[in-house]
Amino acid sequence: MAPVDRPDDLLRLEDLRVAHDGCDVLGPLTLDITARRTGIVGRNGSGKTTLARVVAGLQAPTAGRVTISGIDPAKDRRGALDRVGILFQNPDHQIIFPTVEEEITFGLRQQGRSKAEAAAAVTAILTRFDKLHWRAAATHSLSQGQKQLVCLMAVLVMGPRWIVLDEPFSGLDIATRLQLMRHMARIEARILMISHDPESFAGYDRVIWLEGGALREDGPAAPVLARFTAQMRHWGDADDLSHLAG
Amino acid sequence: MISLTSPVETWAHRWPAGLKLGLMSLATVALFATEDPAILGASAFGVALLYASAGARFARAGARQLWPLWPFLVLIALWHGLSGQVAAGVALTLRLLAAVALANFVTMTTRLSAMIEVAAVLLAPFRRLGLSTRALEISIALVIRFTPAIARKGGLLSEAWRARSRRRPGWQIVMPLAALAIDDADHVADALKARGGVLPIPDTDQKG
Repeated sequence: MAPVDRPDDLLRLEDLRVAHDGCDVLGPLTLDITARRTGIVGRNGSGKTTLARVVAGLQAPTAGRVTISGIDPAKDRRGALDRVGILFQNPDHQIIFPTVEEEITFGLRQQGRSKAEAAAAVTAILTRFDKLHWRAAATHSLSQGQKQLVCLMAVLVMGPRWIVLDEPFSGLDIATRLQLMRHMARIEARILMISHDPESFAGYDRVIWLEGGALREDGPAAPVLARFTAQMRHWGDADDLSHLAG
Repeated sequence: MISLTSPVETWAHRWPAGLKLGLMSLATVALFATEDPAILGASAFGVALLYASAGARFARAGARQLWPLWPFLVLIALWHGLSGQVAAGVALTLRLLAAVALANFVTMTTRLSAMIEVAAVLLAPFRRLGLSTRALEISIALVIRFTPAIARKGGLLSEAWRARSRRRPGWQIVMPLAALAIDDADHVADALKARGGVLPIPDTDQKG
């Protein structure tokens, strides 16, 4: 089930722009991403989640182009299935089915696999995560961290070359976060992760810092994160919370 | 969240979904064919035995899920009590209880995917006419999955109300609940889209 790591995998954003109700929320943004681990940081409302949605093809850009491993993820939904998977911030928004097995099976059947193939793939992914005993578990009875892991398995089992993680650790305790991070570190697919926590980017190659929908910084993880953290502390002393948008 | 799945694996889980749904349909038709309170009482007792046969834990979970029915039963009893049709009221109550409990039993012991497969088989004629039935099949899953989720949201809203009020919440939480339901629908639409949505994927419905 492990996706093949293709050196030619490229995420290309060309003059990307997203507007909601005529108001620009992202871009123009032009970027080429090939790194195995790329982090996205920025304040609330800086366009991070919009970027994640556009990359995963859940939303089409207002202008410009997104190409992920050779396809347009918003237009070619079938092609997008084995190229990019997304993990939402809240696993309750992602889980559709009442049992773990059905939840993981859904995406595989969507990819056109037979029932037998899907069942074998479910066994394989549960075994890989040492969670075979979760198979018949009711999804609503799981803890938040366990739900997040089910979502991760449901995405991984489809074998995407890219995985977009939208603040996957929010609301989780430190121990749960560390365990999930360990599982994520073993993923062979390329990862694009949004997070507010600089520590969650351990081992990351590149970090992109968005501010007001535009690129503020882009470079090797450590120095960008250091400047981001310093700036956040500086802004933390101010009171721009009182500023209303519009 | 109220669970529509069983806390334990029972003998009924091993029965094919189609058979269970078929038997349930026949039993429900039979329940509506009789007015005899004795037969309806025996039927309700039979359904109770069915729950008991699946174990105490299962029976308790089942009883918890049927509990929300009580206002309806009280209403029926009151209405028939006031209008003097006691026998008809008893018959109606027993019939309703037996039919809903039986449907609940099938829901609790059948995996959602098995249920959807039965729907897919029954909808086959429409597919032959060239219509995609995938959306309808997924809708069934979504209704079963999200009815309890929306009930829980209603509970949270009424708590948010009570945290700042001495009175019980009423119609005032209907609008925000509707807004939350629409918001949830947006999230589910995203979750579906992220994994292929309801694209008419060739052969997916029929395969296996």
